[in-house]
Amino acid sequence: MAKGVLVDIPKCIGCESCSVACKLWNELEWDEQEKNKTAIDRAKEPNNGLWPEEWTSINRYDPEKDGESVARYVKAQCMHCEDPACVSSCFSKAFQKLPEGPVIYDQSLCVGCRYCMMACPFDVLRYEWKKAIPGVRKCQMCATRVANNQETACTSVCPTGAIIFGDRDQLLAEAKKRIKENGYVDRVFGEKEAGGTSWLYISDTPFEQMRFRTDVTTKPLPSYTEGYMKATPFVGVGWAAILAGLYVFNNKGKEPLD
Amino acid sequence: MASKVGKVISLSRRSFLKFVGGASLVGVTLNLSGCGEPITPDKAIGGNGWMPTQYNAPGNWPTSVRGRVPIDPENPAIVRDDQKCILCGQCIEVCEKIQSVFGNYELPIKKEFVCVNCGQCIQWCPSGAISERDDVNKVFKALADPNVTVVVQTAPATRIGLGEEFGMPVGTNVQGKQVAALRKLGFDVVFDTNFTADLTIMEEGTELVKRVTGELHHPIPQMTSCCPGWVKFVEYFYPELIPNLSSAKSPQQMEGALIKTYFAEKKEVDPKKIFSVSIMPCTAKKFECQRPEMNSASKELNDSNVSPDVDVVLTTRELARMIKRTGIDFSSLPEEEYDKLMGTGTGAGVIFGTTGGVMEAAVRSAYYLITGQQPPVALWNLTPVRGMQGVKEAAVNIPGVGDIKVAVISGLANARKVMDQMKAGNAPWAFMEIMACPGGCEYGGGQPRASSPPSDEDRNRRAASLYNIDAKAKLRNSHDNPEIKQIYADFLTAPMSEKAEELLHTHYVSRADDFIPKKSEENKLY
Repeated sequence: MAKGVLVDIPKCIGCESCSVACKLWNELEWDEQEKNKTAIDRAKEPNNGLWPEEWTSINRYDPEKDGESVARYVKAQCMHCEDPACVSSCFSKAFQKLPEGPVIYDQSLCVGCRYCMMACPFDVLRYEWKKAIPGVRKCQMCATRVANNQETACTSVCPTGAIIFGDRDQLLAEAKKRIKENGYVDRVFGEKEAGGTSWLYISDTPFEQMRFRTDVTTKPLPSYTEGYMKATPFVGVGWAAILAGLYVFNNKGKEPLD
Repeated sequence: MASKVGKVISLSRRSFLKFVGGASLVGVTLNLSGCGEPITPDKAIGGNGWMPTQYNAPGNWPTSVRGRVPIDPENPAIVRDDQKCILCGQCIEVCEKIQSVFGNYELPIKKEFVCVNCGQCIQWCPSGAISERDDVNKVFKALADPNVTVVVQTAPATRIGLGEEFGMPVGTNVQGKQVAALRKLGFDVVFDTNFTADLTIMEEGTELVKRVTGELHHPIPQMTSCCPGWVKFVEYFYPELIPNLSSAKSPQQMEGALIKTYFAEKKEVDPKKIFSVSIMPCTAKKFECQRPEMNSASKELNDSNVSPDVDVVLTTRELARMIKRTGIDFSSLPEEEYDKLMGTGTGAGVIFGTTGGVMEAAVRSAYYLITGQQPPVALWNLTPVRGMQGVKEAAVNIPGVGDIKVAVISGLANARKVMDQMKAGNAPWAFMEIMACPGGCEYGGGQPRASSPPSDEDRNRRAASLYNIDAKAKLRNSHDNPEIKQIYADFLTAPMSEKAEELLHTHYVSRADDFIPKKSEENKLY
C-alpha cells in the first residue's frame, strides 16, 4: 500500500520539531548560518530554505484570510511524486520510486549530471557544491523507517497533528473531509499536481500566497518524453547495426588493417 | 601498418576504441532496457541517525509525548538552540500540563505564539537547548561606560539561588556575597528589590483595604500582580478578570521607576544617564520591562530621552555567568551590605520569593493598616499558606473585620482551575496570591537548574532558606521598614497618593484577540 503524508497547514504552530527530527534521523550537519535563520527569513529566500543538509524546512508566509493578514507555517520538502521526473531523467538509475511511496536516491550510482535537478517540477533537489565528491540531496521520506512499518521521522514528532502519515488513499479521503468540514480552499495540493504526489497539502488560505507552484501540470512529467524516449534503445541498437553493416560492406575483400 | 616494436603491444588504439565503444553501447542498451538491480530502501542516503525511543514504535501507536513548544524567534525572554534539542517533549509537558498554556487555544494561530514567558520549559529541558535570552553583553557595555551610573536591584529569590551556580548546597543564602560580587563587577549602586516588595505591600495592602471598605469600586477578590507570567496569563485567558488584578506594579518595576525619579532626585544624578539593571529569578521579567506601560520615569519627568524604568533584566544564571566570565572567586568574597535609600528590606519582603510569601507579608501589614496595631506573633508563621501544594487556603481573623479568607496558588494549571471556579461565581476569598511558577519565584525560569525536572525537595530547601532569613530578620513587617517610612515622608506622601499612582501603579491590556479561544475540552489539539 502506497504511503503518504497529509499536511494540514492551518494546524501548524511553527515549532519546527519536524526539521529537527529530520536532522536527527538523517544525521544532517548543522550550519551556523542556516541555524540562525527564522521561518520568516527562509520564506524570503528563493530556495524555500532547502539546502544539501536541510531536507525540510518551515517557512512562514502571511497570506490573507477574510481580508486579514494571518501567519501560516508551511513545510517544504520533496513531494515524492507518484511518477517522478527525477527518476525518469536519471540515466544511471540512481533514483527510484519505491512501491511504499518514497522516492529514494543511491549516491553510489550517481554520476553527478544533475539532470534530476533540472527535471524536478518543485525545485527540491540540492547539489553538494562544496564537496569533492558531490551528490544530490533531498528528503528520502525515511525509506528505512517506512519499510519497517514506522512513520517518517517528521510526522512522528508533530505535536499538533499538522502532518500525519498514512495510506495515501485514506489521507486523500481525510483531506477532502477536512476541506468540507473546515471550509478550506477546495484543492488538495498533490492530488493531481505533477500526476499526483505522496505528500498532500490542504489549507484555509490561497496556495498561491504561500509560494506553492500552483501552475504545475497535472500530467505526470515523464509522460511528456515517454513517447520518444521509449525508442532510444531501438534507435541505439539500430544505429549500431547500420554502422556495423556499413563497416562490413566497406571492408569487403580488403586486407585487415592490423 | 604492423607495429614496428613487434609483439610487445598487441592492442592498437583502434581496437581499444572499438572495445570501449562496444562496451558502452552494450551498457547503455542494457540500462535503458531495464536491466540492473533495483535500489533497496537501505541504499538511500541518510537514515542512519537517532531518534528518541518514543518515536520509533512501529505501526500507528499514538506517542503520548511528542514534539516541542513553539518559541518565537522574537521572544524577549526565551531562546532555543535547535542543535541541542533532542525532541524529548518535556517542554510541551510542562507548558501544557503544569502551566496550561500550550494547547489551550484553537488552531490556526493568528500572528503570534501564545507564551507567558515563565521559562519553566528552561527548567525542564534536559539538554539545555532552551535558555534565557542572553543580555549579559548589554550590561557589560553599560558598566564600561564611565558616563553612565549603573544601578542594580536584586530580587528576593536570587540570594538563595546564586550560590548553587558556584557549587554551594541548594538554598544557600549568599545575600552578602552577591552584593560584593555586584560591586566588584562595577555596578555603581546596589539596591534590594526587597525594599519595593515592602512598598508593594503598602500599596497593594492599601488597595485591598479600599476594595473591602468599598472606597474603591473594584471587584473582590483582589489578585496579586507581582508575577509578570501570571499577569500575561490573565491578559490572555481571563481578560474579564483584569479588574480583579491589583493595579500595583511588580516590585521590580516599582524599584525601576523610583531609581530614575526618587534616587535620581535625592542623589542628583541625571536620569538620562542612569542604566537600571535588575537581577531576577525570572524570564518573564525580561518581557515585563519591555512593556510600553513600564516607562513611568520618562512620563513623570516629561522627558522622552529617559529610557524604560528597567533597562535590562538578567536572570540569576546570567549574573553567575558574568561573575564567572570576570574571574571573580565568588566563594571567597566578603559579605557586604546593600546601599541605603532603597536597599533595606524586611523579612516580609524576602519571603516574596516563595509561594505564599506575598500573602503572609500582606496579612501582617493588612492587620496593621486595618487595626492600627502590630500583628500578633502568630501571623509571623502563617503555616497554612506555606508549603508546595498548588492551592492553599487560609482564614485570618482581624479584629473589627472578622475572618478574612485568602487563597495562595502557584503553577498556572492550578490557577486556571481556580479562575474557572471564580468565573462560575465561586470565590469566597478577599485576596489571592498567584505565582506562575510552581513553588513561586524561588524556582522561577531564571533560577539555577537544581534538578531536571524540578523537584519539590529542592523547592522546599530554597523556601526554607527564605523563611529562615525572615525568621532571623530584625524587622518582619513591611510597614516597619524605615526606608519605606522615609520614601512616603519625602517623596510619595502616602500609599495610593497621586504620585504613587503615577509611579507605582499600572494598567493591563486584554490579549484575548491574539489567538482563537478554545472551544471545548473534546476539541483538544490532538
